[in-house]
Formats: sequence, structure tokens, C-alpha cells
Amino acid sequence: MKISKNQYLFILTLILGVYYLVIGIYLNHLGYYNRESIFYIEKTKIVFEGLGNRIKVMGLTSPLLPFYTTFIFSAINSYLAPVIASAVGTSVLFYIIARTLTKRITDDFYLYMLLALFFLHPGILYTACSGKAIYMALIFFFLFFFNLLKFYRSNTTFHVSLASICLVILIFCDYKFIWLTLFFVPLVLAITLQTLNLGEKESIFRLFISFNSPSLRRKLINKTFAIYIILFILPVASVICYKLLNLTHANDLDYFIESPYATWNVLVDKLNYDIMTTSANYQLPELSIMVSVRVIYFCPLILIAIYLFRESTYQALTILTPFAFVEFLHIKYDKLFLNYEYYLIFLILSLLCLVFKAQTIRNQFIFKVILALVVALQLYTGYIFLSKSLITDENRFITTLADRQPNTDQSETMEMADVINSLPQDAHILMDDAVSYPIVAFTGDMKKLILPYQDVFLSAIETPYSYANYILIATAKNPFTGYTQLNNRYIPLIRIINSGVNYRRVYETNNWVLYRIIATQ
Amino acid sequence: MSISIPELLVNDGFISRSDQEKINDFSERSEMSYIKIALNFGYISRKNYERSLINAGFTFAPIREEKFDTEVLKKVELKFVNNHIALPLRIENNKVITLMSDPSNQLFIDFIKSTYNVEPEIIVANDLDITWLSHKLLGEKYVKSSVYELLRRDPTSSASTTFTSPQLIAIFILIGIVAIGLFLNFKDTSIIINVIISSFFLIAIIFKLFLALIGSRFELHQAVTKTDVRNIVEETLPVYTILLPVYKEDKLIKKLIWNLQSLDYPREQLDVKLLIEEDDDKTLQAVQNLDFPGVFEVIIVPFHMPKTKPKACNYGLHFSRGTYLTIYDAEDIPDTDQLKKVVALFAKLPEKYICIQSALNYFNRNENFLTRMFTLEYSYWFDYMLPGLDTLDIPIPLGGTSNHFKMDVLIELGAWDPFNVTEDADLGVRAYAKGYKVAIINSTTYEEANNEPINWIRQRSRWIKGYMQTYLVHMRNPAALLKKIGWRGFLGFNFFIGATSATFLVYPLLLGIFISYLVFDFSTIHTLFPDWVLFMSIFNLMVGNILMIYINMMAVFKRRYFELILFAIANPVYWLMHSAAAYMGLYQLIVNPFYWEKTNHGLSKVNNPTNVIK
Repeated sequence: MKISKNQYLFILTLILGVYYLVIGIYLNHLGYYNRESIFYIEKTKIVFEGLGNRIKVMGLTSPLLPFYTTFIFSAINSYLAPVIASAVGTSVLFYIIARTLTKRITDDFYLYMLLALFFLHPGILYTACSGKAIYMALIFFFLFFFNLLKFYRSNTTFHVSLASICLVILIFCDYKFIWLTLFFVPLVLAITLQTLNLGEKESIFRLFISFNSPSLRRKLINKTFAIYIILFILPVASVICYKLLNLTHANDLDYFIESPYATWNVLVDKLNYDIMTTSANYQLPELSIMVSVRVIYFCPLILIAIYLFRESTYQALTILTPFAFVEFLHIKYDKLFLNYEYYLIFLILSLLCLVFKAQTIRNQFIFKVILALVVALQLYTGYIFLSKSLITDENRFITTLADRQPNTDQSETMEMADVINSLPQDAHILMDDAVSYPIVAFTGDMKKLILPYQDVFLSAIETPYSYANYILIATAKNPFTGYTQLNNRYIPLIRIINSGVNYRRVYETNNWVLYRIIATQ
Repeated sequence: MSISIPELLVNDGFISRSDQEKINDFSERSEMSYIKIALNFGYISRKNYERSLINAGFTFAPIREEKFDTEVLKKVELKFVNNHIALPLRIENNKVITLMSDPSNQLFIDFIKSTYNVEPEIIVANDLDITWLSHKLLGEKYVKSSVYELLRRDPTSSASTTFTSPQLIAIFILIGIVAIGLFLNFKDTSIIINVIISSFFLIAIIFKLFLALIGSRFELHQAVTKTDVRNIVEETLPVYTILLPVYKEDKLIKKLIWNLQSLDYPREQLDVKLLIEEDDDKTLQAVQNLDFPGVFEVIIVPFHMPKTKPKACNYGLHFSRGTYLTIYDAEDIPDTDQLKKVVALFAKLPEKYICIQSALNYFNRNENFLTRMFTLEYSYWFDYMLPGLDTLDIPIPLGGTSNHFKMDVLIELGAWDPFNVTEDADLGVRAYAKGYKVAIINSTTYEEANNEPINWIRQRSRWIKGYMQTYLVHMRNPAALLKKIGWRGFLGFNFFIGATSATFLVYPLLLGIFISYLVFDFSTIHTLFPDWVLFMSIFNLMVGNILMIYINMMAVFKRRYFELILFAIANPVYWLMHSAAAYMGLYQLIVNPFYWEKTNHGLSKVNNPTNVIK
């Protein structure tokens, strides 16, 4: 029986998915977790097992779509759900790229290169096995640019509107991608100019002709405006709606990007930066001017991609847009390190460009040799970028994978969660999951916990003895202690309010103390 | 006077010798008389014909009040009379008083002699008057057939009964259950209703977006290419019937005929029927006054209730000769190559495709707010929704005009339902239920968008009423419909025919509740909308509106009407007008279901240049 190319791809995707799952589960057993996946696990547990206003958790947890995807897989296993989601998602990404590739290029060499990257590239493995939602951003980043490039060729509404829908999804996978739109503003003019039916080929002369003819000028303006609308109205409107939803349900337009209850990276990003800049061996964050150079170092394939599109100014500009985007991110979020995800988008973009243009190179042999060398080089740079990353989650991933030694990052969290799990069934523990969400994630019974999503939380904070039997406090050593009310200043304060209640330390770790509330009156 | 009229016309220079030969050839092939062809296939204008005959000493008599003898009329057949534009009326002084537009038509004179065994006494009359009188006196059996044929053949598909008893019982039971529910537990019943409506809206919106995306792929595909059209051999083209039902369209006749002249199709293969109601003297007069030769034949539709467009079309069908048939409205401007494209597409498609729908759009789109909104709506409907339905193999509610049929299957289906005021949508579903398919073609007919709000609401109320009628007709036995058209078709039918009217009826209510929610006390609303229902409803309101607006934007973007793109934002206001029309339609459905709310055309001040395809 002969199998078709599609079936062949499907089988490869399945193998890849299993391979990712094996690595992901293995890492999970070694104790590797990252803040993002733990956050999703905690929120999923609240939605499934919690008591109180769970709709708000469901609607305002951000990034929304990765959370929902994890949510789906939690039916299998809530602790492995993020890993399963990322493994499946990355396999889907492979399938999408491979299918696009095989539709356009018959030469199997390119498929082998793609396979090599997806099997061996440390960045792709990180995407697939870490449980983070990078896979989703990559999928929709790919689809966004894919549809845009197709729009350049076909000039059809179908592709531009699909690109717009992909952009919406991309923004709801990672809100920072909203800034990508900023760099499309000048680009759209170039796109429109190109799609006008003019005899002149050179962009600058096309612009000159269009501006000097009243009818062409009107057409240019109308069309440019129309493309802006078609491309950006959906993302803009969706963001406005989502912000209004935040406003009506959380009294804050930016709740989903600024509140530690809604998103995981508010605290993690700050913490990463603080630790690095204040530690003894001070490490400089990436220099602004160097980001593009680092991108090229990370992904030299992008140079080939730009070369492939050199003949069309606006298409080459489209490929360059993500450079402006990451530079902008670096300036805008100057206190953050650039996540690995923002380097990986260049890898995906390069693959897309190859899919579109690799066949146009005349001397395929030399091109393939160069490509193979560059891919090999990228496997190395991919490893270097992860192992030297200043972001804990990234660095820990590759060290755990390389060393194959148990990862103890979450052992303290699990230890405290075990203590909470061992408390009597009717015990109620007051906790603030802005900082203690990893403990909540590992807690078995959510009904024991009094958390901020519940209406009683504020009252419980005021009079804990009326609502709870235990309070979990972040110690002064806890790096997040400044972000929660339940820190070492809370107990003395509450003692002043009601001196008739005693608080006894039940269990203590470096970062956490569990108090038992004892009413003496 | 024994002068030959064809010779007279040649001598007067109105018809050339070569044209005369062509007419004679065509006459032999088609059983139509010389004068019928000369007047109806663009060889001579009626004015010139009259002028020629008057100069030769003929006088045109007014004949409408002429007496007639039914025994005499019984011996002639309308189709024969119609082909010769002549009519025997009575026997007087041992002569058959015969009306003739060509007094030298020897064939007809011989027919009179042999049929009545007496000589004819010829009264020369205007061809349109003879046609009017012939149809009035002899058209009864045809008009009865056009009204009752479907009812006789397939009573379950006829809208002559609006609500069947089981339907009435079901409606009243539903109202009863809701009333009892509200009485017993107002809060829970309201929540259940809310949830049902919200879920329905949510599914409908997502489904429509999905359809629009599927449909937008049609943009990449050309059903018929220019090469296909170029490769057509003219000699092989079949006879094509075009039905033009008009009523009081005297202002538009000139434009209409002019637009039809531009169609790229051999004129002898065209069979254009201008269907004029018996009481519509104005239009008839306008045709009479045309000062250029036209390629069309006038058919007078005798008076019979209901006075609807489908009835007129059914009547015209009896006299049609074409292999294919289409309908255009008075103000339509089809792409000039549309007929050839359809022939090419029918040749490509499998046998089961019996109808091809062209896209409709508007030539006066920039006239005012209403025409802009109408253009947005039509662009979306015909460019995205119908191709989407087509791709997913869901019944297509045909558009009012520019649907091209295979004539034999149209007759087999029982043609249009004269009791249904959106006979086209009904026919689309009926065809689908019989296992036939409808295709969409990449050709556009430009129409005149209604530019006057009251006129618009009247037109729309008829459409929505028609959708309700169609829904009620086909849902008389939901299980049987499901069996016939399958789940996909059934859901599609419910979403596009049933839901369209329902959403417009519900929309102002929901909007009212939302405004109350914003303006008045929140807590009261919260009892009827618990958090999760409110979440869902607001999601529908925001996301639903945005998506529907976006789909509209996509459609005008595709059409390159960039200047209209922002008007899509005004859709929620436009939908309110739909709601007004829906309530008017619902009222009429109950009190006057067959009433045809006539749309006034010719109100636009915008010129409508012919849409020549190069």
C-alpha cells in the first residue's frame, strides 16, 4: 500500500508529537515546571474545582487563548495539560509549515531540513516540551505572515482578512504583539502602492505618479485606508472589547496585562530583571542596538530570507518588520529581557520565506549546502541562547534536559502544598494567589482555599479568624513579598485589630510561613 | 389593398433586403410571422412601422372595445395568434372580423378562411393592442394554470395556506408554555429564554463568519473565465428566454430595453418577454412610444389574483421558447457577457445543477446612506454568503433576479409559487429538496438600490414576509424536510430562511434590554441576567456586531468599493430598519399574506451606464 504525501506528513507529525510528549513528560517527572504553565494549572483548577466567581477567572485570565487550550487538555491530566498542549501545538505548527512546504516545493531536502529543526533545535524543543504557550504565538505568527504574503500575490480579501483574524489570535496569545501593528502602518502604504495598477515598477516613482494624479491619489488614499481597516479593525475592536470587559468586571482597563491575578508574567518579568541587576555578578541586559544583531546571530537563516525577497521592496520590508518590532519591545519594556519567543519568530519567518522562494534559486546545490550549514549553525546558536539566557525558565529548561538531574525549583512549593493537603478536610486557608499560585496549583482540594477571586476574600483579609483557620504568609525573603498583602507585615497588623486572636506558626520554609489562627476568647 | 407589408417596409427603407431575407429565414424556422419578428427582434421600431403603414394608406383602429364572439375565439389558439399578431373576433355580414397588425399575412388569412369558411374582414391595428386583447380574451387557461399549477401538482409546497393547523397548534402551545412559565417562575423562564436566544445568536454569528470565510475563497476561483467565454461558438448557443416582469415601470422601459440591447448574445437566439399586467396601460404606452427597435416581445398577463410577480412569470413561461431562462427586473443592468457565461457554466457543471445565480449589486451605491448600506448588504450576501452556502452544499435562497434556469427542470418543479412573495427563495429550497443543485457564477447584475426609506421598508417587509412564508411552507413537516435535504441543508435552511426573520424581530427587543441595562438600574437586570448569561449576551452583542460589521467590510473591500468601508459601522442602525420591516412583514403575513408590496423603481437620479465586459 502506497501512502500519500499527506498521510506521510501526518505520520511524521504524530511521531514528532510523541517525541515532544516523551521529553515533556520526562522533564515534568524531573520536576521541571515554569511559572507560565503553573499559572495555567492553577487557574484551570480554580475554574474546575473552585467556589465563587469563576466566570471572571475564566474570562479575564491572560493570555486568554493559551489558557483555554491548556484548559482543554486538563481533562487528561491537569498537571501535564500545559505540556500536552505545547507538544500537540508544536506538532501542529510543524504540520502547517510542512504542508505549506510540500504544496509548493517537491524537493524533499527542504522537508528534511524542517524535520531536523523540529527534532533538534533547542528552541523548538523548549517551545514543545516546556508547557509554555510559545507554540501558539508561533503558529499564528506564521499564519499571519503567510496570509499576508499570499495577499501580496493574490490581492484578495480572503487572505487579508485571514491575516487580520490571525493577528487577533496572535494578540490574544501574547498581548505584546499588538505593537507589531505599529510597524505595519507605513508598510500598508507601500503595499497599496504596489497593488495599484501602474505601468511604473519602481516604488518611489509609483509614489510620485500616484501623488501627482488626483484620481490615483484618491484611489491610493481610499485603498490604503481600506487596507488599514480590513487589517487592523478586528484587532483594535477585539482589544477594546476585551479592555471593556476588564473594566466592567475588574474596574481596570488593563487588568489582564497588569494584574498578577490575571497574568503570570507581570511578576516573573520583574523578578527576573531584579534578580539579575541586583545580584553580585551584575549582568547587563541586552543593549538596544544589539538586539537585531543578536537576532541575526540566533537565526542567520533570516539573512537568506531577506535575500530571497530582495527584488520586492515592500515584501522585504514586511520581513524586516519583526526587527523593528523586537527593537521596539526592547525600548518599550526596557526593564525586561527579551524572551526566547521573540527570537523564535525569526526562525519561523525564515522558514516561511524559504517555503515561498526557495524554488526560485537557480543553483539549488549551492543553496542547499549553504542552507544545511546555516541550519546546523542554528542548532548550535539555539542551544547557546537557551543555556546563556538570563531568564530562569529558559535556562532551567536546557540545564534540566542536558543534565537529566532532578530539578528542585518547585520543591519548596510542593512541600508547602503537601502540608496544606495534609490539613483536615474542613480547614480553610487564606492565601493570596497573586504570589502563591504555584502552591495553589499543587494543592489537592481547592475548596479548602480562600482566594482573591472569591467574594469573601476581602472580608477574610479584614477578619481572617471569622473565615479561615490558616493563613499562608510570604516571608521577607520571598522575592514576591512586596506584591501581596499577606506578607510578614500582615500578622502584626491584624493582631492590633483583634488582640483576642492568636496566630501560631504551623510550618515554615524559606519563602512561606503557614499560620494557624487560634481564637483565645 | 394588396400591397405586401414586408415589401413596403423595404421600399420605405426601414428594412434592408438582407434583413428581409434573415427575417424570412427565421420566420420559417420559428413559426413566427414576418411582422412579429420584425417588431420583436430589433429590425424596426413600432413608430416607423406605423409611419410606413399610414403613409401607405392604412389606418390603425382602436380595438380594445371591439365586440367578440366566444364561439369564434374558441377556434383559435393563443400561441398561434400571438405568433401572428392577429385575432379573429366575430362573424359579421358573413365575414370574420379579424384584427391584424400585418394585413398582408397570407398564412393567417388562409387560416381564417379554412377555419371559418368565410372571408376575413381585416381591421389593421397596433400590434400591442392586438396582443393585449388576445391575452385578455384567450389567456384564461394559461393564467389559471400559472396560479394553480403548483397547488394542483404539489399542494404541500404551495404557500396558498399560510399557517397549517398543526403549525398554529404548535405556535399557540409554545406561547402557552412561555406564558405559564413566566407566570409560575418569571425569573427562571426569562433566564431560559435569554439563554436560548443568546446561544442561537452565538451559533448564528459564528456560522455566518465561517460561511463568509468559505465564501470569500470564491474570490480566488473564477467559475467561468474570459477564455471560456471566448471559446463559445455562437452558432451553437441555445435559445435563451429572458422574462421581464414589470408593473407601472413606464419610466424605466427605455433604459431596460437599452440595457438588454447590450447583451452579448445572438439576437435570434434571444427570447425576451416583457410581462405587462393587463391593467398597466402606462407601461404598455411607454413601449408603444419607444423610438428605437427593441429585441423583446410583449406578453400581457390577464387579470387574476394574486397579482404577483411569480404569477406573471409563470404566465410568461407558457410562451417561452428557451432552453435556458432567466429573470431580470426593470432596472437591471446585467454584465454584458452574463448569458454566455451561464451557458459555458451549465456546460461544465453536472446535470443536477439546474440553476445558476449571478451576483447582484447596485449602480447607484453612492447616492445616499441607504443605497450605501444596501450595497454593503448585497455585496456581503451575494459575494460571500451565497458562495459559502454553495460550497457547503446548503440550500441557496435565490436572489430576486438574475437566476438562470434550465427551462425543462423549472417546469418540472412547478415553476414559481404565485402565492409566495419571495418565490425565488422558495424555489431554491424546493429545487434542493428535489435533489437539484444551484451554482453561483462570477457575473454581476447591477440594480437600482432603493434610495427612499419608506419604499425600502415596504420592499424589505415583502422580502421578510416571503422568508416567513417560505419557512412555514417547508417546515410543515420538519421530519420530511430533514429526510429530503439532510442535516446540513436542514440547519442551513433554519439559519438562513427561518433565523433571518427571527433575528430581525428579536434584535430591537435585545437592544432595548441592553439600553435599559446601561441607563437604568443594574440590579434589576441582574436578576434576569445572571453573570454567565450577561457574559454570553454581551459577548454576542460586542463580538457578534463586530464580526457582522467586519464581514460587510470584507465584502465591499472585495468589490473595491473602498469608500463604503466605514459605512459598515452603521450596520446596527440599518438592522433597526430591518426590524421595522420585519414587524410590518409579520403583520402582513397574518392579515394579507399574498399582498405584493410593490417597490418603486426609477427613483435614482444616478445614471446607469451599461456594464460592458471587455
